[in-house]
Amino acid sequence: MSDSAETILDVRDLHTHFFLRRGVVKAVDGVSFTLRKGEVLGLVGESGCGKSLTALSVMRLLPKGAARTVQGEIVLDGENILKRTPSQMREIRGRKISMVLQDPQTSLNPVFTIGDQLREALVRRAPAKLKEIIKQAVAALRRVDIAAPEQRIGQYPHQMSGGMKQRVVGAIAISGEPEVLIADEPTTALDVTIQLQYLKLLKRLQRENGMAILFITHDFGVVARMCDRVAVMYAGRIVECGPVKQIFEAPSHPYTRALIASVPKMTGTRGRLTAIDGQPPSLMNLPAGCRFASRCAHVEPRCLEAYPGTTQIGADHTADCWKIGSI
Amino acid sequence: MSAAAEKQLLRVANVRKYFAFTKGILFSRTLGHVKAVDDISFEIRAGETLGLVGESGCGKTTISRMILNLEEPTEGYILLDDEPIHGLEGEALKAYRTKVQAVFQDPWSSLNPRMTAGRIIAESLIVTKWGDKDKIAARVAELLKQVGLRPDQAQQYPHEFSGGQRQRVALAAALASSPKLIVLDEPVSALDVSIRAQMMNLLKDIQAERNVAYLLVAHDLATVRHMSDHTVVMYLGKIVEKAPTQALFDDVRHPYTKALFSAVLIARANQEDEEIVLQGEVPSPLNPPSGCRFHTRCPYVMPRCSQEEPKLRDVTPGHAVACHLFD
Repeated sequence: MSDSAETILDVRDLHTHFFLRRGVVKAVDGVSFTLRKGEVLGLVGESGCGKSLTALSVMRLLPKGAARTVQGEIVLDGENILKRTPSQMREIRGRKISMVLQDPQTSLNPVFTIGDQLREALVRRAPAKLKEIIKQAVAALRRVDIAAPEQRIGQYPHQMSGGMKQRVVGAIAISGEPEVLIADEPTTALDVTIQLQYLKLLKRLQRENGMAILFITHDFGVVARMCDRVAVMYAGRIVECGPVKQIFEAPSHPYTRALIASVPKMTGTRGRLTAIDGQPPSLMNLPAGCRFASRCAHVEPRCLEAYPGTTQIGADHTADCWKIGSI
Repeated sequence: MSAAAEKQLLRVANVRKYFAFTKGILFSRTLGHVKAVDDISFEIRAGETLGLVGESGCGKTTISRMILNLEEPTEGYILLDDEPIHGLEGEALKAYRTKVQAVFQDPWSSLNPRMTAGRIIAESLIVTKWGDKDKIAARVAELLKQVGLRPDQAQQYPHEFSGGQRQRVALAAALASSPKLIVLDEPVSALDVSIRAQMMNLLKDIQAERNVAYLLVAHDLATVRHMSDHTVVMYLGKIVEKAPTQALFDDVRHPYTKALFSAVLIARANQEDEEIVLQGEVPSPLNPPSGCRFHTRCPYVMPRCSQEEPKLRDVTPGHAVACHLFD
């Protein structure tokens, strides 16, 4: 990936909060990242760190009444989509930006056939005669490696396996030829051998279409496999961002280091795992300083006082830590 | 390994479990059998961990349910300390349940939300009339400390704990009756990445302290490698490979195990791309393929594989594989 690659999605200082009677949950609290044309950016973090909510904010699909984007800009292909009306957003979704969710069981409607659900997406893109649309639907299924697509379009979701359903979801998501695909843990519900099939398929589709993927996961193995760059999120913020190779070989932020070290390995000695003690802070009552400070092995007074600024480490590698270079 | 640890605690011998597949209610006909578990044998020694690996539908849950005495085998037998475990009634069954306990995957559904942590942990002690109130309270406090919680947390309800803490409560409850064997069904896969290492370390510490044996049911090979002494790999109700963990991970033999290994996504950059990507999905256990059950997806399939079922045989001492490639 060259540095001159064009930016397709630019998220700047995004704040998305939940407003509850008990208080404000700052689930996304100052997230900035860029996604370049044709690249795969991984967004990694634990549950509750705000990665899925970042995705929903970008899709403008936040749960109504509960969560709101209160600050920031989401620039998709040169325009700030936070300024778009809901009906304009419906035009953008599917054609410019699309999403695959974790559980294919719930993203497909159980009472409509696969063909019906594909047709809905295809007709929205370009209205055509039914015969033509069915042809397109069969082609879309074939593209995601579904065997005997002519028979499959007449089937219901329950007649398919999990892996196959997730392929159908993928076919619907890319039917509008979007420039950005957000994949939110698309393989977590799948078996390992099926997961590998699906990741290979996504990679192939991405190369064919030249689309950019924002890949949300908690699994560094998936990141290593899929992504060009990776952003690590912790308690509502991106704490480190850089090329995958650099993050794995020389992680800079203590959280990234601890996270990579805590995963059991497939080779080498089976010593004690280095666990990260404690738990992430409550998003309702975030500390003033660094959010990882209470669990960090390198903590010092200034970490508790103020949030560290973003430090440039390499050309394309940044981290939010006071002690970059000294640990 | 000491002489005491060599003793076999649990023996699973030629166990089969078929579930009848029927049609109709009054004059119901049996249409066939789902061969969930088909002729499985393995042993667990006191104080050691056996890892059971496989994809969904391979029968690993059925095996653990039979070991927990929730399901009777259709054929074969399971012995604990050389005593058959099925057909027990009344006090004998109660006594068995104190010896074999379980920790399940999802700590959100495995703990009763209307009981305090203390009551959940005390449950098995109350049922077996282990002691009076004060004695039980002291034991609960001791158990909580052992799993890294505070004794005063006995008053809290499950919703007041985080996921990792809940799994600790579930473990304390399993340990209460001083079992000889604990079935761990995906004990860390529902937990966050940064919490998993804590839990795995805790499980190992407790095993070292109490000499309790674990049957670890998991799909993540790195977890199995880290935790277990022996590993059994299952596919569609059959054991395909069985060996000491170190031997298995050093020298993978069966094509299915190889495929599982290449599906493991390792958290490191620059992965070489020579791998086995399995085509298709796991066939239905209702109508498993003839001969070797893996032959429909095997990259090394030979003509005899579809006709003759391979037997599980030692290829090196202690390392058994069921594959015609090693005849």
